[in-house]
Amino acid sequence: MSVANAVQDRNRELARRINEEARSNPQSPYANKFVGIANGQVVVVAEDLDEMARRLRQVEPDPTKTFCVEASRDYDVVEEIWGLN
Amino acid sequence: MPRDEWPLRNGRPCVQVVPTLAQGGHPLQRTLLADTGAGSQLSAFELILDEDDCLLCGGNPDQPITLGGAYVGSFPSYVVLVQLPALGFARNLRVVCVPTPPAGFDGIACFGFLNRFQYGNFGNSAAFGLES
Repeated sequence: MSVANAVQDRNRELARRINEEARSNPQSPYANKFVGIANGQVVVVAEDLDEMARRLRQVEPDPTKTFCVEASRDYDVVEEIWGLN
Repeated sequence: MPRDEWPLRNGRPCVQVVPTLAQGGHPLQRTLLADTGAGSQLSAFELILDEDDCLLCGGNPDQPITLGGAYVGSFPSYVVLVQLPALGFARNLRVVCVPTPPAGFDGIACFGFLNRFQYGNFGNSAAFGLES
């Protein structure tokens, strides 16, 4: 596994754990926050997506080393895109 | 109020957005189908783009999103800085990436995005516009 892939896997796993914690514990410091992760660590916790992304890019300009998660959101919900004919 | 309008494309409403490129890239304008039937106000995403565009723009990876209907399955998402220069709009939005955008378009401007603005034909049946 390349170094880049290893970083991405660490980021994804951390994001999964943060969301799991926030969804099971409303008192979690991450609950309903936008969380920015870089190189396997939480580096930004913000109230909205725009603010989180701007600060995340200041901390880590290389997007391949970053990951974002909206804690408490159910990402498994099926979002409908009405069909085009 | 600032307004931007675009002629209908293939008889369908569209909007033109400018995703901000990764450093050193060329300006990128993307024409998206304006589709109020794509997602809802509660959806996690606001735009649908080709994945190559998301990567070209240096988007930050986000959690995969599950879609149903015209697209079925789990699709990657990215946070991308999107601009509408005429409206002075520049915000980071969550974008879902699909392998095949609608024919004739570069992607979809979903309801959550359109609903940030006043939208419609503003009395011109040959165009679609956004007003902020």
